[in-house]
Amino acid sequence: MTTSAIKPGIPVILKELKPCSQFFKQGSSLRVTGRLQAYSADTAMAVIADADVSLKIDTQHLRDLNFRIGSSYQFIGELLILPDNNATLQARVGRNVDGIDLILYHQSLQLRRKYEAELTNSQQT
Amino acid sequence: MDSIRMVHVKLLAIDALSLTVHDNHSQSFSRKGKLISRIEVVGVVVSYERKDKYLSFLVDDGTGCIRCILWLNNQPDQFRLGVAAEMALEEAKAVQLGKLVRVRGKITMYKGMVQITVGDIFVERDPNAEILHWLDCIRLAKHCYDPPAGYLP
Repeated sequence: MTTSAIKPGIPVILKELKPCSQFFKQGSSLRVTGRLQAYSADTAMAVIADADVSLKIDTQHLRDLNFRIGSSYQFIGELLILPDNNATLQARVGRNVDGIDLILYHQSLQLRRKYEAELTNSQQT
Repeated sequence: MDSIRMVHVKLLAIDALSLTVHDNHSQSFSRKGKLISRIEVVGVVVSYERKDKYLSFLVDDGTGCIRCILWLNNQPDQFRLGVAAEMALEEAKAVQLGKLVRVRGKITMYKGMVQITVGDIFVERDPNAEILHWLDCIRLAKHCYDPPAGYLP
């Protein structure tokens, strides 16, 4: 079967985005979640944070999304890594996720990854 | 064998996109030896294309992107299909980039790839609905959809 041209945004927790991480790759498609710390309408740059880890988000391609400091957002896009390991997510999709239970999200994500690995292994055997 | 054939099977995209296709007299699909015909997915709309006759959109649940097609050309037939056409148009309006949607429908193929021919779409307002769907998919796969250990199809 062929695959879709648009890659899925792999859900990651911000603290997993370290240079040594498997997710920290130039152009990797990711889905990130965090609370909005800062937003500049002039540059369309936003900063989200989760548990003291922050990430810059380039929101120039997003429309119809209102940014409120302190609200929770989820973005899907591609990671741009600069030479100093400074990363920015170039968002293609974003949404407000106020009310999300981040503890449940993190725990469920671990379960889901385990299930995905089991499924992939069973398909290969 | 056919216990899940006529229900909407809750699947992650990675699971849906790897269904086995049977090209016999009529196209059918199976998962781990069990025939299925309808699925339910939850994810974020990451692209869409609106034409006169249909709306095509991609749902990204983080494990894969699955194409969904909503036909808009149900012609009114003695008032019977008029309601369906109106509902399809209303549902099409709700599909927007970045929305979290629950899509249920029939599994079909398009250009060698599994897609969903939409039966209904629901825009989820609670962001936790997606998390609960993940957990439903895992629980149902293990306790309901997967064949019992030792089963040989």
